[in-house]
Order: sequence, then C-alpha cells, then structure tokens
Amino acid sequence: MKLSKLFKKTLFGIIILFIIVFITIIVFSGWYLYGNLEDEYKSKGTAIAKSIASSSAETILNLDSATVQAMIDQFLEIEGVSYVFVVDSNMEIISHTFIPQIPPIIKEKTKEKLPEISDINIEGVGRFLNIVAPITEGAIGYVNVGMNKDSITKRMWVVLINQIIVLVSIFFVSVVLAYIMVNKISQPLNKLIVYSEKLLAHDFTAKIDIKSEDEIGLLAKTMKSMAENTYEVFDRYEYALKDAVMELQDTLSYLTTIIDNMADGLIVVDKDGVINHLNPAASQIFGKPEFEMIGKDIFTLGKDIEILARNSLLSDKVISSEIHLPNNRLGLASAKKIEKENFADDSDARGLLGSVILIRDITKEKEIDRLKTEFITTVSHELRTPLTSILGFVEIAKKKFNDVIIPALNMDDSKIVKASGTINRNFGIILSEGERITSLINDILDMSKLESGKVTWNFDYIHIDDVITTAHKAMSSLFEKKSIPCFINIQLGLPTVRADRERLIQVVINLLSNALKFTDKGRIVCNAELAGDDIVVSVKDEGIGIPKEEQETIFEKFRQVGDMITNKPKGTGLGLPISKKIVEAHGGKMWVESEVGKGSTFYFSIPLTTKNTVGSQDEDTNS
Amino acid sequence: MKILIVDDEPLIRELVVQIVDDLDMGIEVIEAENGLEALDKIRTETPDLVLLDIMMPKMSGFDLCRILQTEPPHWKMDIVILSAKGQEADKQIAKALGIKKYITKPFKIEEMIELIKGYAVNRELL
Repeated sequence: MKLSKLFKKTLFGIIILFIIVFITIIVFSGWYLYGNLEDEYKSKGTAIAKSIASSSAETILNLDSATVQAMIDQFLEIEGVSYVFVVDSNMEIISHTFIPQIPPIIKEKTKEKLPEISDINIEGVGRFLNIVAPITEGAIGYVNVGMNKDSITKRMWVVLINQIIVLVSIFFVSVVLAYIMVNKISQPLNKLIVYSEKLLAHDFTAKIDIKSEDEIGLLAKTMKSMAENTYEVFDRYEYALKDAVMELQDTLSYLTTIIDNMADGLIVVDKDGVINHLNPAASQIFGKPEFEMIGKDIFTLGKDIEILARNSLLSDKVISSEIHLPNNRLGLASAKKIEKENFADDSDARGLLGSVILIRDITKEKEIDRLKTEFITTVSHELRTPLTSILGFVEIAKKKFNDVIIPALNMDDSKIVKASGTINRNFGIILSEGERITSLINDILDMSKLESGKVTWNFDYIHIDDVITTAHKAMSSLFEKKSIPCFINIQLGLPTVRADRERLIQVVINLLSNALKFTDKGRIVCNAELAGDDIVVSVKDEGIGIPKEEQETIFEKFRQVGDMITNKPKGTGLGLPISKKIVEAHGGKMWVESEVGKGSTFYFSIPLTTKNTVGSQDEDTNS
Repeated sequence: MKILIVDDEPLIRELVVQIVDDLDMGIEVIEAENGLEALDKIRTETPDLVLLDIMMPKMSGFDLCRILQTEPPHWKMDIVILSAKGQEADKQIAKALGIKKYITKPFKIEEMIELIKGYAVNRELL
C-alpha cells in the first residue's frame, strides 16, 4: 500500500504526539501512583503496628512470647505486610515472623531506637518500609512492621501497563482515523494535481470532477476558470505568433530573394573582416562557390577589396574604389560599415557589426569608357586636320583678298564694293565659326579626359594671385573691347596652395569670360580670400543672373543660361563642367549665388592641404 | 634657308608652302609624306627647320626624332612639332626628345609666319 505524503506527515505528527503523551503519562502517573501507594502503605503499616502495640502490651508484660508470636503471625496475611517483630524496652527482639531467622541487618538496626518510618534493605530479599509503633509509649517495647516496597512498584506497573494499553489502542484508532480523513482530503487534491499537470502540458480540454462546496471545490472551480482564461490567451497569442512568424518568414524570404537576385555582388564581413554572407552574384564575380568563401578573411578575395573593407570599418562614409577581379576583370566596390542600432551603450566594439560591400563588374563599362575616350580622341584629331586646312586656307584667302584683290578693284562700282564687303564678312564668319569648332573639340577632349581620369596634373605649390593676374591679363583685351571694368581684389599674404597652375588659370579665365559674356553693362569683381582651411576665389558680375532652378544644371554638360536658340550664347557649354571637374580634382568645391537681373557670383575653393583626390592618376600619362 | 614639312596630309603641306611663298623671303620648302621619307630628305637635303607631324604612316614623327638623336650631324637642325595631338602627354614626350616648340593644329597663320620669321632672323644673326 502506497501511503500518501500528506498521510505520512500526519502519521509522523501523530507518532510524535503520542510519544510525548506516553512519556508524560508514564512519568507523571508513575510518580503520582508511587507516592500514593507509598502513603497508603505507610498509613496501613502504622495502623497495623499501632493495633499490635495496643493489643500486645499486656502480652509482652507477661512475657508470653508464644501468644505474641501467634498474634503477629496473623498480620502477615494482610496485603503488603512482609514481616512483624516486637522488641522490648531493652531493644531485644522478643518475637518475630522471620523465617528461618532474623536477618543480621535487623539485628544491627534494632540495637538503637529506630525512627518511626525508615527504609531497610535486606540483601537478597528486598526493600522494606520499617514502621515502628511504641507499646505504652515505649515503656514496654516497640512493634516493628515491614511493608514490602517492591509490591508498591509492582502495583504501580500494573496500573501503568493498563494505561499504556489504553493509549496504544487510542493511537491505533487515531492512525486509522487520520488515514481515512487524510485520504478524504487528498483524493480531491490528487485529482487537482492530475488536472494541473494536464494544464501544465497545455491540455486545456482536461476535465476535473470535484463538486464539493468546500475550499477544495472552490479551488477546483477557480483553477477551471483560470485554465479557460489561459486557454483563450494562449489561443490568441498562438495565432498572433503564427501570423508574426509567417510575416517574418515572408519578409525574410523576400529580402533573401532580393539579395540573391541582385545583379551586383554583395559581401558582408564582420568587424574582423571575416566573410559572413554573400550572394550568388558575388560568388560568380570571384569565381568561387559560396561555401569556399564564407568564414574566410576578406583578404582571400584580394588586396584591393581587403583595403576597402578595412577602411570602411574605420569610416562613417560610403567608400568606393575600383578593385581587380579574377581573370583580369575590373570591379567597382562600395563599402559601408554597419552598426547595431539602439545598442548605443553596448560595449562590444560600439555595436560595430561589420561592413557591407557591393561589387559591380565594370570591365565592360571600363572598356566602353575607354573606347569612348579613344573615339573622342580620334574623332577630334581627325577633325583637327581638315579644320587646319579650312582655317589656314581661308585666312590666306582673306589676306590675299584684302592685300591683292581689293586694291586692284574698281571701288567706284557700288556692286563691287558691296560684294567685297560681303566676301570679307563671310571670311570672318568662316574663321570665327571654325575657331568655335576648334574650342568645342578642345573642350570635349578636355572633358572626356577629366571624366576618364586621364589627365596629367602638374601639382606644385603656387600663389593664387599669380593665377588670377595671369588669367586677368589674358582676358584684358576682351574686357577693353566690351568696355567693362574688371577689379581684382586679393587678400594680402595668402598662403600657397598645391595646385596645377595652368588648370586653375583655365578655371579663372572661364569664369571671367562667362562673366563678360553675360554682362552688357556694369562691372566684374574678382576676389580671393582665406576662408577656414580653403582659399575661396569668386567672380562677381552684374549681368543677367541665373534663375534658381537653373543654378544646379549650369554645371552639367551642354547647359547654358537662357534659350539656346533665341539668345544664342557663344560658347561650348562645357566651360563650367570642366572648371568644376578641375576644382574637384583639387579637393575643392564650385558653386554659384545669383539673382535674376542683378548678376551672379561664382565661387570655387581650393583647400590649403590638398586631399589627394587625383591619386595615382597623377602619374598616368597614357592617352 | 630650307624648311622641310613632314605631314601625310597634302593640304597641310600645301598650306605651309603657300605661307612660305607669301613671305617671299627666298625660303625653300621641301616636302615629305612620312617619317621614312623625311629621314631620307634630311640626310640628303639637310634642312634648317623641320615642321614635323606626329601621326603618320610608315614612321611617326616621334620615331623619326628617336632615329635622328643617334645621328649627331643633325644636332643643329631645329624641329618643331606640328600635330593635332595636343595632349600634355605628347608634349612631355616631345620635351623628352629635346624638342622645344610644339604647335597644335589648327594653328593661326600669324603663328606660323612668326615662327618661320623668327628662325630666319636667327639664322641670319648666326
């Protein structure tokens, strides 16, 4: 039979309780009983002794010991009386009930007068209460009655054993009762346990059969409604979770699909430069299967991309560079570091996760670009030769016409005068248009070189005032021709800058000629001053101005202010884009401030410490 | 004074001839179609000034210069590059070959006249 824990505990409690009760009862009852019985024996002994003493006085006086003997013998039959003896006034035992003889200890003791009550231990026989009663106040002698002490203990034990038997019976009855009661309580509790275990296993359809109205019934009812509530909540959350998981899976597979189908290669490295993730395009670009790349250092994909990745981990900006790919291919890689958001105080490398690198195979584009530049170069060279002939022969023709033909003509004929004027003007038109084609070819060539990065730069430490005055000198005849004053205003003591002198002169000339082109009256001011770490040069005119919406586009190729057809400006539309490219190659910026009708101010800045934006193309001399 | 014009384009040669004729300074102009022909003319005619195109069939202007560098007798002859290639890189090569003057096509008639006159005056002074 398996005992329930509750019952075991109860049983243990009962046992402890009973042990305490046992000990208490045995000790107290024993002590009380013993005391009572001893008193009873004392009074009994005293009564016997007194009765013998009163009745034996005469007998003793007569010294009739036989009668005394006979009398005391009958007292032995009284319960508890062990012996009786009588002594005379000389403490001589005159009669006794000892068989076969008086024990020596009695003889010893009776030499003196014994106290009224005393303990005597007769060896080998037992312990006795010796009670003394005087006969006629001791004049005749004393009666001694010995009450058996052992029978007191015996009687006490009889009573105690009876009590123990009763207690043990009570113990067993209470154990049985406890068992029944505990079972009655634990049965519904067991049901509750089974029920709650089912609930724990998320079996919310489980039933519990407790209908009692007591606390357990109440508990069962509460648990049932709790289970129902939990089931409802669970159900709701399960649905929500399913929805969320599905949505997440959709988003994830959507993102994965996007990444896997990107035309560009994508590589994600961690903060140590180890490849974490890549898409099929990246594995195709590097000609290695994905599993061979993941977990490897980015170094295994080449030095170029490694440098890019390491630099991007140290920068907040997107870093781009051309990288060499396997099979002599060329790629454009852009890298940006990625950081854990909302983890600002996370100590783990300030939340740096790594870097995302995008790689595009630009071998074809580069080849097309190269072909384009080559084409432009060839075309412009091919155009220059016939242009040289056209311009040269027209110039000679014009010279001959003016030097030789005109003096020989009859200038009285108005027709001849008119025709020769027309011819002269036409020669002029051919020449100026030819020159326009020449400068257009030059600008296109310049632009294509700047765009392809194939410009030979001659960087040196130069003075900006030298640049401005040289440009101004080159333009001065044109300013005089249009009678527009040009003021130069250069801050004193400007530091030198590392720049390409000729190219900067080109920029200033371009700005001055633009200013002149669009100014009919007013003046032009050229300023140069230090602003922070830059030298800023500005050219201010009082011309037609530029509408807000066109202020950005004028730096694009073939864009000019105004309607190209009605307000035909003389220029190629490449001057500003070229100037902007040149300034940017110096690490500077170019911008404009303008108001329609009031004029424009063009600015460009050259940093004092030139960032090496031109880079290795400094030494590039192929064209 | 003798000028050699080396260009594969006949019209350019003609243009130079016309300019020199117009100067009427008694300057002789001889022509060559390419570097190879020019080399031959230089050796036989010993011109004082060579107007040299770069891009030509058979032998380019730069190749001609490289050959001439190995022939000391021609040291005193002046070479002026007359090319449609006006890029800095080409000018650098010319400079490296010891050529002092580089004219980009198209050029102005006045520019050519001044150049030739300049050499003519220098020659007389010598």
